[in-house]
Amino acid sequence: MWKVCKYTLLDLARNRFAMGYTILLFAVSTGMFMIEGDNTKALITLSQVVLALTPLLALVFTIIYFYNQYEFTVLLAVQPIGRRSIVLAQFLAVSSALLAAFMLGVGLPVLAWAPGAVGATLLVSGAALTTVFCAVGAWIAVTQRDRARAVGIGLVTWVFLVLVYDSLLLWLMFAFSDRPIEPLIVPLAALNPIDLSRMLIMLRIDLAALLGYTGAVYHQFFGSTGGMVVSLLALMLWTALPCWWAVRAFARKDL
Amino acid sequence: MIRTLILLSSLTIAQCGMAHICEVRSGGSITQALATTMDCDTVRVSAGHYQEGTITIERPVVLLGEGWPVIDGDGKGEVIVVKASHVTIQGFVVRGTAISDVNDNAAIKCISVSDITISGNRVEDSFFGVYLSSVARAFVQDNRVIGNASTPEGRRANGIHLWKCAHISVERNTVMHHRDGIYLEFVTDSRIEGDTSAHNSRYGLHFMFSHRDRYTRNVFRDNGAGVAVMFTHDVIMSDNHFEVNRGASAYGLLLKEINDATITGNVFADNTVGILIDGCNRAQVKDNRFHANGWAVRLLANSLDCVFEGNRFRSNTFDMTTNGDLVKSTLKGNYWDRYRGYDLDHDGHGDIPHRPMSVFGLVTERAPYAMVLSRSLMVNLLDQTERVVPTLTPAALEDKSPLMRIANG
Repeated sequence: MWKVCKYTLLDLARNRFAMGYTILLFAVSTGMFMIEGDNTKALITLSQVVLALTPLLALVFTIIYFYNQYEFTVLLAVQPIGRRSIVLAQFLAVSSALLAAFMLGVGLPVLAWAPGAVGATLLVSGAALTTVFCAVGAWIAVTQRDRARAVGIGLVTWVFLVLVYDSLLLWLMFAFSDRPIEPLIVPLAALNPIDLSRMLIMLRIDLAALLGYTGAVYHQFFGSTGGMVVSLLALMLWTALPCWWAVRAFARKDL
Repeated sequence: MIRTLILLSSLTIAQCGMAHICEVRSGGSITQALATTMDCDTVRVSAGHYQEGTITIERPVVLLGEGWPVIDGDGKGEVIVVKASHVTIQGFVVRGTAISDVNDNAAIKCISVSDITISGNRVEDSFFGVYLSSVARAFVQDNRVIGNASTPEGRRANGIHLWKCAHISVERNTVMHHRDGIYLEFVTDSRIEGDTSAHNSRYGLHFMFSHRDRYTRNVFRDNGAGVAVMFTHDVIMSDNHFEVNRGASAYGLLLKEINDATITGNVFADNTVGILIDGCNRAQVKDNRFHANGWAVRLLANSLDCVFEGNRFRSNTFDMTTNGDLVKSTLKGNYWDRYRGYDLDHDGHGDIPHRPMSVFGLVTERAPYAMVLSRSLMVNLLDQTERVVPTLTPAALEDKSPLMRIANG
């Protein structure tokens, strides 16, 4: 398994897309810090980019890479290697490559310009989102036979989590505004990994406003160490579950 | 100014003339000195610990502490009660009032007198600190009124408490760990200047029915609910700092039923709400700076003819929100860091108006817990759409000539 992982990583190191992704992130982050004098504001804008961009690119890249590696995967499958380790190795390789790209592209500028609690939270949630959407991408790639269809499903998933889910939440708030729906909202939002990461970051930035109304629930939960641990566990679950489904699907797949 | 001169001259009359000075040394009694030496107009008290219950001053006198003598009430009732006009108390450490639910026990209390000076004292661990009731013409200055940080709110009282006074000057005092830092009710024609009020469990400054007062260069920081002022007309607040007042109902400045207020050159930073304006008429809010507040300004629709001009709004989560469609106030020439317009005629003002209330501001106004969606992509799209085609946000809340850049740096 480690050998497969190693060779996939070596292949990824030469991948032009991965390199382009690193450069893109680096350019966006450094550009943001240079244009915007106020580092907090730069971090806010950067976090929006990270929250939207990293899931999308992680999803699409993982799906496309899995398809590009199809022949190699088939070749591996005829070797005396467990199917489980093939998928896991590929997932590990792709996710660590994307993580490295993220850490180089966003991590370095953030550490250089705005080290601190907000920056750290941004990096942790960005990294978590990368692995989560790698796992989801792997799952989609393994279950779908057609590449275009898989990318399509990936895009739909992204749009749903980044846009539709929040709209549904908003609709829910207005539709049930005369009912005590408030305690439900935060847990519901936390079910979505993108929303969860966003809340973790925003809690550090918009603290003054958040403490205003929703403050009580919001701050009690996410501000405490327990809440932090629960959030990270939730993000890990979001990685582990799709990963496990991918492994299971691949084990049964007719190659 | 004339007021100050009159006050000064009256005080000098009280102090000079044939100066009769007597001294109280450590181990002596201030009460006895005041009672036996009626010809003394100045009593100098040396360093030491004076524990003699309540000291009542019933004749004009200057009480001077030298080397911080401690007057300790030992937790029984009041410490110093002034019942005569023309009294000065300076240079003491006063402590040990009783905590009471019935009596307003104070470290230094003045009742129905005039021409009082309380300056340069340290009031420690007291229930009420400096308490003036029905006093005309007084200086309360350079005092440090520090409560005990561990006292629960129910057992705290106000640091500087003024009730039914006129022509009072409260200057350069520091008040911490009390219930309200500075409390005024029915106090008119007074000046509150250069004070610091911080870490009080309720309000940093709290006044009601206190007309024609002026508040300048004070700092109100990290008080339980910020500053709340109500039912007053003709107030001037300038060059104050309102900072770090955070919480579900904390305000940098809460204006309730305030008419004809002038609010200029203040700094509002890191508050949950910078200013909440509720039922105020003709407030002039000019040249203030709003930075990193949750809501910089919440202007409720029951306010009329307020003017916002030359203010700077930077890095606030919401710059301005209101709760209705009808806004009868004027916004002009403010700087908004969110403004994305252009200035083709180079007059320094943007050519297209700026609506400071975002759609998301509107949404959270109706469903407060929508705050959970703050800065999500969907919310950003909503706000951007509204910026291009403004339809939802109240049209009246609009700055017709927003500044392109911050004036004077």
